[in-house]
Amino acid sequence: MTQGFRTQTGGRIDRSQTLAFRFDGRSYAGHPGDTLASALLANGVRLVGRSFKLHRPRGIFSAGAEEPNALAELRGGARREPNTRMTTAELYDGLEAASQNRWPSLRWDLLSLNGLIAPLLSAGFYYKTFMWPAAFWEKVYEPLIRRSAGLGRAAREPDPDRYDAVQAHCDVLVVGSGAAGLAAARVAGAAGARVTLCEQDFALGGGLLSAPAHGAWREATLAALAAMPDVTILPRTTVFGYYDHNVVGAVERVADHLAQPPPHTPRQRYWTIRARSIVLATGAHERLIAFPDNDRPGIMLAGAAETYASRFGVRAGSRALLFANNDAAYASLFALQDAGIAVAGVVDPRTESAGAEAARARGITVWADSQVTGASGGTALVGARVARRGAGGGDTLVVADLLCVSGGHSPAVQLASQGRTPLEWSEALAAHVPGPATLDQHSAGAANGVLGFAEAAADGARAGAAAARAAAADIPLPGAGDAAYGLLPFWEADVPGKAFVDLQDDVTANDIRLAHREGYKHIEHAKRYTTHTMGTDQGKSGGLVGAAVLAAARGERVQDVGLPTFRPFTSPVTWGAIAGPHIGQQFAPTRLTALYDWHVRRGAEFMDAGQWLRPAFYPIPADADAWASVLREARAVRKTVGICDVSTLGKIDVQGADSAAFLDRLYTNTFSTLPVGRARYGLMLREDGIVFDDGTTSRLATDHFFVTTTTANAGPVMAHMEFHLQTCWPELDVQLASVSDQWAGMSIAGPKARATIGKIVQDLDLSDAAFPFMAVGDGSVRGCPVRVLRISFSGEQAYEIMTPAGYAETVWTAVLEAGEEYAITPYGLEALGLLRIEKGHVAGSELNGQTTAADLGLGRMVKKRGDFVGRALSQRPGLTDPDRPVLVGIRPATRHDRLRAGAHLVTPGSTESLGWITSVTRAVELEGWIGLAMLRGGAARQGSRMQAAFPMLDETVEVEITSPHFVDAENLRVRG
Amino acid sequence: MSVVDPVSPLGNTLVPGRHGAAGDGAVRIAERRCDLVQVFARKGRAGDVAAAMLARFGSDLPGPGHTFDAPAFSALWVQPDGWLLVAPRSPEGALAKSIKAACGDTASVVEQTHGRSVIALSGGRAAWVLGKLSSLDLHGREFGPGRAAVSPVAGLSCVVHHRDAAPSYDLIVFATFARWFVTSLTHAAEETGYIVE
Repeated sequence: MTQGFRTQTGGRIDRSQTLAFRFDGRSYAGHPGDTLASALLANGVRLVGRSFKLHRPRGIFSAGAEEPNALAELRGGARREPNTRMTTAELYDGLEAASQNRWPSLRWDLLSLNGLIAPLLSAGFYYKTFMWPAAFWEKVYEPLIRRSAGLGRAAREPDPDRYDAVQAHCDVLVVGSGAAGLAAARVAGAAGARVTLCEQDFALGGGLLSAPAHGAWREATLAALAAMPDVTILPRTTVFGYYDHNVVGAVERVADHLAQPPPHTPRQRYWTIRARSIVLATGAHERLIAFPDNDRPGIMLAGAAETYASRFGVRAGSRALLFANNDAAYASLFALQDAGIAVAGVVDPRTESAGAEAARARGITVWADSQVTGASGGTALVGARVARRGAGGGDTLVVADLLCVSGGHSPAVQLASQGRTPLEWSEALAAHVPGPATLDQHSAGAANGVLGFAEAAADGARAGAAAARAAAADIPLPGAGDAAYGLLPFWEADVPGKAFVDLQDDVTANDIRLAHREGYKHIEHAKRYTTHTMGTDQGKSGGLVGAAVLAAARGERVQDVGLPTFRPFTSPVTWGAIAGPHIGQQFAPTRLTALYDWHVRRGAEFMDAGQWLRPAFYPIPADADAWASVLREARAVRKTVGICDVSTLGKIDVQGADSAAFLDRLYTNTFSTLPVGRARYGLMLREDGIVFDDGTTSRLATDHFFVTTTTANAGPVMAHMEFHLQTCWPELDVQLASVSDQWAGMSIAGPKARATIGKIVQDLDLSDAAFPFMAVGDGSVRGCPVRVLRISFSGEQAYEIMTPAGYAETVWTAVLEAGEEYAITPYGLEALGLLRIEKGHVAGSELNGQTTAADLGLGRMVKKRGDFVGRALSQRPGLTDPDRPVLVGIRPATRHDRLRAGAHLVTPGSTESLGWITSVTRAVELEGWIGLAMLRGGAARQGSRMQAAFPMLDETVEVEITSPHFVDAENLRVRG
Repeated sequence: MSVVDPVSPLGNTLVPGRHGAAGDGAVRIAERRCDLVQVFARKGRAGDVAAAMLARFGSDLPGPGHTFDAPAFSALWVQPDGWLLVAPRSPEGALAKSIKAACGDTASVVEQTHGRSVIALSGGRAAWVLGKLSSLDLHGREFGPGRAAVSPVAGLSCVVHHRDAAPSYDLIVFATFARWFVTSLTHAAEETGYIVE
């Protein structure tokens, strides 16, 4: 448990406390302030993972979100989280982590033999290798690929933690809390703006955290921000996407730094932030350089090595060599030297530089005009070969266990680019910088191509003022440092070998050239062909290097080749955060009728009907199975009386002087002739002439109608009405209100229906003469107001009683008590369906978006005169073709043969489908199964026999074609 | 007419007591039993409706995004020429009848007492809790007492009424969704803790 690579002093870790953690089963110690990566390095752990394709040994390459190699599975069991970057994982006491993508162990990984067949695993090998024989795909290739590919393993158990989502608004959103971000937030906050500052790290300060000289400025600025009431600071919050209208997505890791979240605390929170203006102070990513074996553990970005030394008090190696093309990297090397790391020298492709001079002054050897031509060592770096550029002579082996690489710095323009800002090329940086923004967006600091703390802070102050639309406030800025940069674009050592441009995806410079040779010359095509920049790091370190290799192959400039499009997610986000609280019962809203509690007490089996939970049936102990319940309930309706909760029907209150005219235009039939106190069945078409919905409409007053719709179309019919009222006929005096929730509804159906409710309905004469079929009237039941409609879906004598929802159970119970002498039976959705099929009433399976009024036998409901929605297109030849399938009834010739919805109707010996069965049920009025079907020439085929074929189960049933009205075709019962 | 107390659509979804996280940030969640009436001006009659409402009830009919507290009810703008009146419970249908009597054929009046549920959310962190379910900007510069918005909350159509500076919000949703809505709301409030009285 020694931390042999920890410095005695320095850094932002708390040496007074020790945190114990385990990696691949071994125990280690670290300190508060560590990441998993810094703690592993402090303990001398260099090998932390295996690469994706070739299973090459890999070490920690960076100190941040750009990490390509050091991915771990964190925690265990249901909380196991794969592909977590060790460089951003905050250390806590008891942390369990495991390396990925290796078997049986990290050090002895069998699939590292892939390295021997690497020539076969070149770019596009997926497309080439697994092409033949075709039969091998499912049985051999895919299982093989699935076993060897992929990174970590997700947990298989349900996630025990909760994930939250929140929406926020601000005047100025600042992304990044480095020198530029802090200055921008302070200026904007001082100007009175509502500011939100997001920082992905757990500590605020960005690069300032590795710059002790600027510690005081950082502290003072944070204190000033903390004192501003309208400034919100969100550490551990990664902005991953920038969307239209300055909407950004971010994930806050609320409790990832704890073994498990405290009670009632989410693990992560998904933020949707709408900002009037956005300051992007996202910093820059240091670039790798492609040279043979540039992926060996011990090879690290120079800035990362500096961060480990300065921020974490960790020596990332014992003897460091720097390979860099810019002066900023020299500062990193000097920080390592100051932290006690021996320096082997500097390899610099430039002939002369300020950095080299400064290094020599420190007694450091500099190989100028030189390059690294290879790395030695397997699971740990031993040394690097150094040679003069272009010279044919031999190279020198320099012993080092840490090779710091810096190919320059690319501003982190991902979010700016997602936010529609065009990118421009900076010759000084050899990188893309944001051009003029189109949205209210301001890049600042290193993200804007401005290097140096003082310069970045000044740029941030400028951006903060612009974002707040204020004059630049006079805030203190950090002191100026050495701004020398002097970059020479240098992408790749010009020697043969396996030189990676994408460490995570095992893409080499040669792969890019191969893609070019094979025709994938566009940067987007080369990306897909090679998988370059497609990993969790999204090519932050090597994306531009690969583009430069492609540019060289094309004989063009890098800036003319460009980069692949930046899209969300800029950094990986867990699925838990994306799902948020919308899981299980909270995935989508559930809708309950006012009688739900009664149904539960009665022991109903429920079924989903859209968002509704509806009783399917009410089993009793005597029922042998579900069918027994359903048939018992349906028989009660046919023989005595039943009661069904129909509260889910859509109900629309239509008022206004032009209400009748409005309904005449919407329905195929006429409502202006409907007397007050009467209801009429109505049919509504879509614009294209297909049947949309049906229902009954009651006239309560000359200027007041009560419209019902099917349960499924309650919302769509309301929208259809609003649309026509607002856009087509705004001159009409009509007001619409959804009253679906105001009124609970119950259907009382059966020969004893009137006898039942006649006992309890007051203030309304229900006698047949006073209240005939299709009558409507208001009354009361036990003091509760009710609206009674004499309508029937079952074909029996039936009434619907509507009552304000708060009285539903009182009225329902009153009906049950009144019907007790007739053994009144509650019936569910299944019996309701059975009864309507027997009666030949159409429902969702027939109103399926393909049928016309005539198809359904409802042609007589289409008025001869007057226009209505859907009239013109319902007269198209295709919709009036006499050979269209029409509604018929179906019975099996052998009565107890089972019918299946979806079966095709064919003549014996033919495979030509002439129609299909839409709805089936076992019947109570007749023996055995019955069904409804849509059949070509259906009217002429009534009385004939056909075959109902259901090829999926290899079934064929001989059926009789009948009238769709199995019960009371003359419609006498409803009037009885 | 009614001798029976109407049943709440919430059943026992809201359990009295203190729930969720401890600490002093708890919000309060309660059902407010209210009379609810929708009033629409008939075509071209908005001026007449406003005059009748002012004369009979002393109520202004507020413009978009605003509310007006009259002695008998609060009037919330919910759509062009359309308002939702929220009042303490009175005999069944009485408020709607009195509005119709005052406005006659200048207005269409629809009883919604049973069709909507009023859920009250209040306390210092109420806006934080509501921010988990709604994309409204509830900051004092954009919203505040006397303001209302019709906007999805927990994915459901909702009238959000900022009633007072506590702050207290009325969340008015379709009654058949009320249980699911309240469950979403209490889940969102577990982080701050919540009190049901």
